[in-house]
Amino acid sequence: MKQLKTRQTKFWIQAALIAAVYATLTIILGSISYGPVQFRIAEALTVLPALTPAGIPGLFVGCLVANILGPYGAIDMILGGGATLIAAILSYMLRKYPILVPLPPVIVNAIVIGMMLKYVYAVPMSLLACMATVGLGQLVTCYGLGYPLLKILGRYENIFK
Amino acid sequence: MLRDITLGQYYPGNSVVHRLDPRVKIIGTMAFIVALFVVKSFLGFGISFLALAAVIAVSKVPVKYILRGLKPIFLIIILTFMLNMFMIDGETLVKIGFLHITREGLFTALFMATRLILLIIGSSLLTLATKPMSLTDGIESLLKPLRRIGVPAHELAMMMTIALRFIPTLLEETDKIMKAQQARGADFETGNIFKRAKHLIPILIPLFISAFRIAQDMAMAMEARCYRGGDNRTRMNGMKLGKIDAVAVILLLLFLGVVIAERIWL
Repeated sequence: MKQLKTRQTKFWIQAALIAAVYATLTIILGSISYGPVQFRIAEALTVLPALTPAGIPGLFVGCLVANILGPYGAIDMILGGGATLIAAILSYMLRKYPILVPLPPVIVNAIVIGMMLKYVYAVPMSLLACMATVGLGQLVTCYGLGYPLLKILGRYENIFK
Repeated sequence: MLRDITLGQYYPGNSVVHRLDPRVKIIGTMAFIVALFVVKSFLGFGISFLALAAVIAVSKVPVKYILRGLKPIFLIIILTFMLNMFMIDGETLVKIGFLHITREGLFTALFMATRLILLIIGSSLLTLATKPMSLTDGIESLLKPLRRIGVPAHELAMMMTIALRFIPTLLEETDKIMKAQQARGADFETGNIFKRAKHLIPILIPLFISAFRIAQDMAMAMEARCYRGGDNRTRMNGMKLGKIDAVAVILLLLFLGVVIAERIWL
């Protein structure tokens, strides 16, 4: 029983530090991380749920914290956080197929953030074009950086324990 | 270079708005956002603007600070405005060469720009007048009813607190790692976009390992101090709803009532 409790504390603390890394990376590259056309390096971390389930709450809270500190306030917090959470759960479910792991954050963000751009920010492009621009940015970070990250971090499995 | 980053946008103060219960502020902000989507006329925006201006005046947050939040999206507002103005068909008002400005286009452009500006000012006011820590406490308290369906409210709030606390530490760590890798000849500036993204890996891996080490030590320290989740935990600064919160809620309801009435009858 005691053992279980320790694991639980560690699980949440690991998730908290993942959140901190996500927020840190978003803040360092502030100017390109927020806003309608964004290029968030931190999104590469979306592969983490495949390595540890602590990545799911970690990414969710990371996105929440990054958006609390960012210039857009509440809307971005709710929609961005929600999209990240859904994508993280899907990535976790796909953990057996590494090549598919970075796919959910690309698709879910393209849909949710694309819709946010169209209906909240009223960017005068077609819905499809909004989704495509977001998806493209995500594609570069998730596959260009996230996938290699997944491969390399996979070798350090012991740190996740 | 990383030392120049200002974290968050909290503007310290002791105004009524600062002292309001964070829960009231969070709900109020959400209600304001919803109201902006209920509104369908400029009169409604006028009412919303007056309400917002009143709150800003009371909060004593300088207008300069608030407008700073608009800076990053200024270009987008202008672009959206222009595109809406020129692209929408309808009754032509002015013709400049091949460009037409139509009545409908002008209306849509002004309408969308006003909504966007109010939206951003309204939601950034929450983070301007609330400490990130109180915001976390407020979120925890608002999520509490969801515990019954399995939402780990306390854990999420604790994670937010820890994440906020460790951002400065990790910023410093990243700075060190970047300098160390550059000293070893790492190159962050050349190549195409995919290559550049890949070049960040030598920063991310050490950053991760260091973050997980911190997690390991911290979990152990918390266990050693008998941390056992949020049960029966007491707080130094508990949240209590007071008179000003009651007044704020009444004013909020009044504002919502006016906005809805305006939508239905005018």
